[in-house]
Amino acid sequence: MFDGLSEEIFPKKVIDLGWLSINESVISGFIVVAAILLVALILRLTIIRNWKTTPTGGQMFLEWLVCFFDKSADEMTEKYSGLMGPYTFGAAAYICCGVLIELFGLRPAIADLGACLALALCTFLFIHVLGFMKNKARRLLHYANPINIITDLAVPVSMTFRLFGSILSGMVIMEMVYIVIIALFDMLPVLGVTVILAAVLTPLFTLFHAFIQSYVFASLTLTFVQEAIETPPKKPKRAKKKKGVQIEAQAA
Amino acid sequence: MELLVTMIANLLATDGALLGAGIAALTGIGAGVGMGIATGKAVEATARQPEAVGQIRTMLLLGLAFAETTAIYGLLVSLLLIFVA
Repeated sequence: MFDGLSEEIFPKKVIDLGWLSINESVISGFIVVAAILLVALILRLTIIRNWKTTPTGGQMFLEWLVCFFDKSADEMTEKYSGLMGPYTFGAAAYICCGVLIELFGLRPAIADLGACLALALCTFLFIHVLGFMKNKARRLLHYANPINIITDLAVPVSMTFRLFGSILSGMVIMEMVYIVIIALFDMLPVLGVTVILAAVLTPLFTLFHAFIQSYVFASLTLTFVQEAIETPPKKPKRAKKKKGVQIEAQAA
Repeated sequence: MELLVTMIANLLATDGALLGAGIAALTGIGAGVGMGIATGKAVEATARQPEAVGQIRTMLLLGLAFAETTAIYGLLVSLLLIFVA
């Protein structure tokens, strides 16, 4: 019954020129990027051009969306929120739309190891570059401990596989549901079985994954960056002594 | 005895990958227990301090994402064992 499933799990190559091979996921990734750019351009020319003091519904939604990412970036990465806010927003938008394209019958753009690895490597780059920018040479102390290096190398791997695995599992579940629905239709040829069951189940599995995974990716990126740009305490022992002296002085 | 060993070897050679896939899917147990504990604690925390629900939700989702990772690794391993090996 599930024989056809193995063909669905790994992306099929559409163009293969030896040095250049493009699979289905890459093509839907291109479509997603084009759609996001087009929507952004339309919003720029319609809503943002007519920016009002008394906001309309569209303006409220845009403000909420941008503020949602900017605020959490502000809280976690103080100085670099101007960089991290837009990055997390862009990554989340790409992940969310890349999964939601499944609703149109295309293969999700994120169900490809390359796409996940690219996003995870962007985050990896941000973590270490911002860490160096904030703490300069003191950041080198972080790499003196070999356990820290292993932890750092595990971050992009775990982010890649978390994203890839959860999107792929959602996709596999949907493919199985489609196979079962087709089998059901053979047994019980009523049009409602195929249309209504698929229409109810698809958004359930797809929408949930899309929003949760994009939110998780954005907040994990912010958490790791926050960890990297923390200023290490200079000499904790002396500070404690000083505090004690101050407290004694106050008591006296 | 020798027959039994060859039988087991044959079984492992043909269906070993499927057996491994089944074992790999057991990662779901740990992830399920962990996520259940996390959610229960989040509910407790919300009941104790309802005004902190926003922060609790953020932390809960992050923790769930980490707990879910192990289950996803198991899923990937079992998929690879079924369809690639």
